[in-house]
Amino acid sequence: MLEARLEQADLLKKVVDAIKDLVQDCNFDCNDSGLALQAMDNSHVALVSMMLKAESFSPYRCDRNIALGVNLTSLTKVLRAAQNEDILTLKAEDAPDVLNLVFESSGNDRLSEYDLKLMDIDQEHLGIPDTEYAATISMPSTEFRRICVDLMALSESVSIEASKDGVKFSCTGDIGNGAVTLRSHNNVENPELNVDIELSEPVALTFSLKYLVNFCKASGLSKSVKLCLSNEVPLLVEYGLDGGSYLRFYLAPKIGDDE
Amino acid sequence: MATRIPQKRILGDTSSTRRNLLSSPASTKKRKLEFEPISSPAARFRSSQNGPKSKLGSSQPSQFESELEKMTQDIAGLKENNSEKSQTWSRPPLKAIDPQNDRLVFQQIEVEEGTLNGQPAVKLFGVTDAGHSVMLHVKEFQHYLYVAAPVSFTVKDCQPYKAYLEAQIGNYSPVIYSVQVVLRENLYGFAGNQKNPYIKITVTDPKHIAKVRSRIESKGGANWQGKWTAGGDEGILTFDSVQYIMRFMVDLGISGMSWVEAPAKSYSLISENMRQSDCQIEAEITYRDLIAHKPEGEWAKIAPLRILSFDIECAGRKGIFPEANIDPVIQIANVVTRYGEKQPFIKNVFCLDETSTITNTQILAFDDEKELLKQWSDFMKQVDPDVIIGYNICNFDFPYLLDRAKHLKVHGFEQWTRLKNMRSEAKATNFNSKQMGNRDTKATNTNGRLQLDLLQLVQRDHQLRSYTLNSVCAQFLGEQKEDVHHTMITELFNGTPESRRRLAVYCLKDAWLPQRLMDKLSCLENYTEMARVTGVPFNYLLSRGQQVKFISQLFRKTREQHLVIPNLPNSGGDDGQYEGATVIEPTRGYYDCPIATLDFASLYPSIIQAHNLCYTTMLKKEAVEKLGLMKNEDYIVTPNGDMFATVKQRKGLLSQILEELLTARKQAKRELATETDPFKKAVLNGRQLALKISANSVYGLTGASNGKVPCLAIASSTTAYGRQMIERTKGEVEAKYTIANGYTHDAQVIYGDTDSVMVKFGTTDLREAMKLGEEAAAFVSSKFVKPIKLEFEKVYFPYLLINKKRYAGLYYTNPDKYDKMDTKGIETVRRDNCRLVQNVIETVLRMILIDRDVQGAQDYVKDTISDLLQNKIDMSKLVITKALTKTNEDYKDKQAHVELAARMKRRDAGSAPTLGDRVAYVIIKGSAGAKNFERSEDPIFVLENNLPIDTKYYLDNQLSKPLGRIFEPILGETKANSLLAGDHTRAISVAAPSVGGLMKFTKKTFTCMGCKKPLRGSEESRGAVCSDCAPRVGELYQKTLHKVSDLEVRFGRLWTQCQRCQGSMHCEVICSSKDCPIFYMRMKAKKDVEDAGKELVRFDHDAAAW
Repeated sequence: MLEARLEQADLLKKVVDAIKDLVQDCNFDCNDSGLALQAMDNSHVALVSMMLKAESFSPYRCDRNIALGVNLTSLTKVLRAAQNEDILTLKAEDAPDVLNLVFESSGNDRLSEYDLKLMDIDQEHLGIPDTEYAATISMPSTEFRRICVDLMALSESVSIEASKDGVKFSCTGDIGNGAVTLRSHNNVENPELNVDIELSEPVALTFSLKYLVNFCKASGLSKSVKLCLSNEVPLLVEYGLDGGSYLRFYLAPKIGDDE
Repeated sequence: MATRIPQKRILGDTSSTRRNLLSSPASTKKRKLEFEPISSPAARFRSSQNGPKSKLGSSQPSQFESELEKMTQDIAGLKENNSEKSQTWSRPPLKAIDPQNDRLVFQQIEVEEGTLNGQPAVKLFGVTDAGHSVMLHVKEFQHYLYVAAPVSFTVKDCQPYKAYLEAQIGNYSPVIYSVQVVLRENLYGFAGNQKNPYIKITVTDPKHIAKVRSRIESKGGANWQGKWTAGGDEGILTFDSVQYIMRFMVDLGISGMSWVEAPAKSYSLISENMRQSDCQIEAEITYRDLIAHKPEGEWAKIAPLRILSFDIECAGRKGIFPEANIDPVIQIANVVTRYGEKQPFIKNVFCLDETSTITNTQILAFDDEKELLKQWSDFMKQVDPDVIIGYNICNFDFPYLLDRAKHLKVHGFEQWTRLKNMRSEAKATNFNSKQMGNRDTKATNTNGRLQLDLLQLVQRDHQLRSYTLNSVCAQFLGEQKEDVHHTMITELFNGTPESRRRLAVYCLKDAWLPQRLMDKLSCLENYTEMARVTGVPFNYLLSRGQQVKFISQLFRKTREQHLVIPNLPNSGGDDGQYEGATVIEPTRGYYDCPIATLDFASLYPSIIQAHNLCYTTMLKKEAVEKLGLMKNEDYIVTPNGDMFATVKQRKGLLSQILEELLTARKQAKRELATETDPFKKAVLNGRQLALKISANSVYGLTGASNGKVPCLAIASSTTAYGRQMIERTKGEVEAKYTIANGYTHDAQVIYGDTDSVMVKFGTTDLREAMKLGEEAAAFVSSKFVKPIKLEFEKVYFPYLLINKKRYAGLYYTNPDKYDKMDTKGIETVRRDNCRLVQNVIETVLRMILIDRDVQGAQDYVKDTISDLLQNKIDMSKLVITKALTKTNEDYKDKQAHVELAARMKRRDAGSAPTLGDRVAYVIIKGSAGAKNFERSEDPIFVLENNLPIDTKYYLDNQLSKPLGRIFEPILGETKANSLLAGDHTRAISVAAPSVGGLMKFTKKTFTCMGCKKPLRGSEESRGAVCSDCAPRVGELYQKTLHKVSDLEVRFGRLWTQCQRCQGSMHCEVICSSKDCPIFYMRMKAKKDVEDAGKELVRFDHDAAAW
């Protein structure tokens, strides 16, 4: 039996919105520590890993492991019925056919209840092993989104170079080229605007901008974003959430002129 | 190796045969749990695809196996009759011929222009009844053309005009032989049966005709003394523009493949040293003495033609298509048959390197490739075949052998023609016709010998999914053959004498199958008869389009009636559009009552006959006035507004031709019914088919605006009458069969197309409907002009009318038992769909129409969709094939198969499909927003890398529309839609591929077999179940074990199937045929067993199990 209550439906809405273009059908694995989701996009270049820890909910109850096979497009349709401020409760049986969603409006006493039919998804569980990254960059998520969107106008791919001077995002396209360089930056008044670069060795990698722009849909979830890079290892883009929860994206680097 | 279309790709593991074997599941300890078998192995083997419902789908193992066995027996039987050492190669020895007393009679097979002693002569190649080869030079026949004579031109003007023309052309030697004035009539237009003077200009040598014609037709070219007043300076229209060979055959009444006779005393033999050919008999005769026999009665026979069927194998390199400059020819297998005999009298294989013997087949082993080629070419000369057949020989075997011999400098190798100083050469040609599309081919000349490339022939006459020898044989002979990839061939060749023997057997089979295919399809008979009926040489049938056949018939007829055909300038383009046939708007729906179908028998030919439509009867307004003709008495006005003279004035040439063709067809059919000899039967059947096709093509050629004899008035009037008749039939039937007229129901015409109408008489009784149908046909026929006839042919019951040209029904011709299930325009027959669609539609229709089980059909569809989403459908069923007809640049939009071909080319240029090939592909999942053409992939690559199939695409783009069309009329829209989105679509499976950007970085986490929870802790991570599911471990183990053994049985059976197919239980299977569903199944099964085995091993590490 699963019962998880979110103070703000907003969180789940944003999470689902951020990943629904990458993944269509996937399992939400529920256990006593929280709600986890891990799935690859169809072209197997990116991986989404989400963890909503039990602490993010109040209360959270899950007696035994449950896999909720959800079609994200359908889930989006249901979530659209919820106001951002609504209290959202997820409920499911131990061997569920449906996922029950309840939206409570705190302002007026409106209570809406939806059942979403579940799917049986036979999917392999793939994960990226934890690695020590050579470079870890934290920056405001809006800044990262701006860089990606701006460069996307020029080219399909961006190369990210991190050195002791800073981190440089550059691209070359048919109409010209562009580069954005960020240096470590400490804003005392507004620590959210900090740019923080930790580096053990210089890194240079190229990635598809299309995917990065897609990841940036999660910008609304967190003020800052963390990029972790090592040579010849997938890029990790992490949006930290309250209570130790997170939404992570992995993206394979582009090698050579590969499509 | 001739099966080269489409070129093959191979699974990585076939390059090493070892790995093709199944490694047994690695579980060393299969715990022996005691349980009752759930079901018999046979029942368990039935997977979703082999369920009892899918009988019409892929081959059922048992049936397939027995067929395979039969084939191997056939080979054994074939081999018994022959010895291994000596086979007679030569033709029967020739007895001395005495031209004074013996007549020379032979069947001519090829006609060619040539010279004898410096004079133009026609060469006739042929074979006598006794099997001797003949070449006859026919001398003195001269080519000519006509020009309409101006009013003031008289017989006296002939000589001066001749001199004038000579001067105009200005050749050093005389060009014009004679100029005469004769009375002829123009083919076009009715002019009161009046003949007019025409100037007949005969040339000395046929090669001058073009020069003379173009001179006359050019501006101011031949307007002698300005006699041609109206526009004479603009060039003068010439008549009877036809090739020399055709002129010759028309004037002498020789048709293709017919018998000719040189009477005693009329011909003379050519002395040994003057001979131009290596035929046994070479003689000369003047054309006046030659007798042409009409192919009737005694002369309908076919001479004992020697037919050589051959196939070559070459040792290719990995990934590269064989190139003649590098890759050696290692084997050439030959099968020679005499026409009229069932078994071949020569079977041999020319092999490079020592090769073990094959029963009753001569093995000629050579150490040197040059020697092999030399000997083979000698063999060819000695056997002296009249017909050379094979599979894809035109585009591969011939040019390859020639190139190879040239590269190795084998002297005299290219002597394949019957002419001593004519070498065979492969030339690139481009064949383009409306019927066939655009094809790049190579043509090799073998003067005096006919070529029949079975591939080209099948491509021409049959619409198939795939044109590899394997699938064509599967289609027509009902048997499969091994498909050995060319890299495999090299491996076998580099092995032992035993492995080379294996290759030789394979090669021999490839040489023998074209022969059997030809027998089965009666190709030789059908094409011979087509040549005889239309009068064109045999070779024209394969190398030329439709028009030449009609032109030949037309010329033969015009010659009899002293008509001349103007050489009209080619109008070009398709500007001459006219309205085609009509379609009565269908009343869509599912009819659970008999629907009678009334057809007009040969509609267009009979319209042309009935209304006397012809070039010669066509009238212009001025002509009507000038001749003072009466409407409806002397001429008629077609619904289209054109005018034609009636039979009273003149019987049209076309209607005469058609009448003859149709009478001849009736005659042939009559003879066919009484004939017992199978060979003669085949000939007669070929004839009636040829006659039918010829009759039907008459209409089409009048409408071809860029043809030689276009006449839109005829074509558009024909269709106009057709439209009118369909409408009239509808009116008559609906007016007569009403309740008011005492019938039980009001009849309704629910659909009509071109030449048929479907009538719902309203009765539910089949017999009653048939009776009414027959009655109605007779009734309506009586309202039309003869020979137009409406025939009652069949009743559909039940009938599912989906749309225009789309329907299905059970076809009854007698009320007791249905004949077949008939479908039109439904995805069962279309090739641009995957086989899954075809299977599903066919099964569904069968269940609805035959079993009348609509609920069952729905359940079947749901099951199939559910299987599809869970990746349980066999991949061979998802393969889509499309022909690559144009290159990338020619297509406006990007297309899946074109893009894939380009991608495959980048991956491996050697095995990528080329122009003209059919490309096989499946649609895989791609990133969001990726277009279809980006997601097409080679099925074998998908199989190798476990790429996920885009099941959604197959559901939405392939299945949904045809299923919707079928179920909507029956169930209604909402219910039909629920078929595609019900609960059965909620279980899916997502495959994890072995390629893709991120895959090499990921680590797989096992999930609990009970509840799918990822197993993370160190204790559980390699095990099978999580701690919660530990109590279920026994049950789950049993389930897994069952799965493994089921899969093993399945794999085992598929493997045996392939072994049977290759005809040996002791060798490994090396086949990699892309068209074979078993191949994909076997590859998938192998993978499944391996995966399931891995799952089983997990129990060994499971804490809960111990």
